[in-house]
Amino acid sequence: MQKFSFNRRLVIIIVCLIVSFALMTVSVTIRNKKSTPPLIQQFGNDIVGLTDRVVALPANGLSGSVSAISELLNTYQENQQLKKQVSELAQTKVRDQTLAKENKQLKQQIKLNDSLTDYTAISAAVITRTPSSWQNQVVINKGSSAGVVKNMPVMSGSGLVGRVAEVNKTNSKVELITDNNDSANRFAVSITTKAGKTVNGVLSGYKSATGQIVMDNLTTKSKISKGDKVVTSGLGGVTPKGLFVGTVAKSVGSDYGLSTKLYITPATDLSDLNIVTVAVTKQ
Amino acid sequence: MYRLSKMRFGFPIGLFLLLFVDGSVSQVFSRQMFNTPSVMVSHLVVLWLVCGVLFEENMAMPLVKWAAVIGAVFDLYYTGIFGVYIFVFPLVVYLTRQLVNYISPNFLSGLLIYFIDITIVEALSFVASRAVHMTSMSGSSFLVNTLGPTLAFNLAMFVILYFPIRWVYNWLK
Repeated sequence: MQKFSFNRRLVIIIVCLIVSFALMTVSVTIRNKKSTPPLIQQFGNDIVGLTDRVVALPANGLSGSVSAISELLNTYQENQQLKKQVSELAQTKVRDQTLAKENKQLKQQIKLNDSLTDYTAISAAVITRTPSSWQNQVVINKGSSAGVVKNMPVMSGSGLVGRVAEVNKTNSKVELITDNNDSANRFAVSITTKAGKTVNGVLSGYKSATGQIVMDNLTTKSKISKGDKVVTSGLGGVTPKGLFVGTVAKSVGSDYGLSTKLYITPATDLSDLNIVTVAVTKQ
Repeated sequence: MYRLSKMRFGFPIGLFLLLFVDGSVSQVFSRQMFNTPSVMVSHLVVLWLVCGVLFEENMAMPLVKWAAVIGAVFDLYYTGIFGVYIFVFPLVVYLTRQLVNYISPNFLSGLLIYFIDITIVEALSFVASRAVHMTSMSGSSFLVNTLGPTLAFNLAMFVILYFPIRWVYNWLK
């Protein structure tokens, strides 16, 4: 390494800083405004994604088999409990089918084709996770060629886990709702209280200390109690209605005492994602 | 002689392999590593780069260039925010080279150098993320919840992987 003079080094450092901030600003702007990243970035991401699968497949397979062995140990107990649940589920399912059929017929009667609750699902596997502490982001193996569009909601297990942040041809990035940046977890949600009132609002953050989603600035008079279910309201865009977000854990007055602040326990375990579902609304 | 050795191909392959292993480790052990609030971030790529400097001896390797390349891939593929690691990784290589001039590299001094490098990587990416509003984490909670656990994890990885990586580098030379 040749020795630079002090001035030359200073110039290099300053130029690097300026270029760095310029690049960062540009890429953040593109991420917020455009529906897909520039073609070169997409192409690069697709190639890297394909190579990554070579490494990720054995790793994920290995972890799958390890957890399979550990799950084998308490299979018997689980089986006993599940048997009970299955018989109850059959009942619910039949009723569900009847209701869905009735719903469809009623919709036909009033000539309503697609309502906010309709969506189709694309299931995808998680390839890898961003090794970063502030970007809770996973890369999934479906992209624009499978019909994924930016900002679509992503679910896992029983509940909402995040939204699509960047779409390439064969893979896309999903920002989880545990991410605390300005846009990751702003979902329009509604809560049906015990009294039957509907309260609308927007998720506003994530409290990492307790692992709860925060919903601030609620100016409702109706009483929201612990255990009330929070679902997406379908208002304002690509998120369909009725995706389960979580249950209310605590309802407190906000910092200035003017509004209500809710803490919501997420419906799924957000730290352990393997298979996710992208909800596609008909637009 | 860098041009004539197996290092010419072995080094980039190892670099990309560890980049993907970083992501896979984060995914497979996400329950343990992203156990909020404390978060451990795996930086095996940095380990490979720093070991490159430590075991370089008099073989002039184009480490800064490769650091910039792998930083660019990291930015595009993992974070989606271009312009952070593409500068941080080369800086770490440069800094490690400066430090190696003063401290002769061995296991213990390597641990010390790696400690400094990880601190710089995490601190700079934190500052960058704060600047573009990717995070709203406060400085004190960064120190306690991210930097501490990350340092612990990565220093443990250094201790475990130092001798295997040295063996690989000697084989590649």
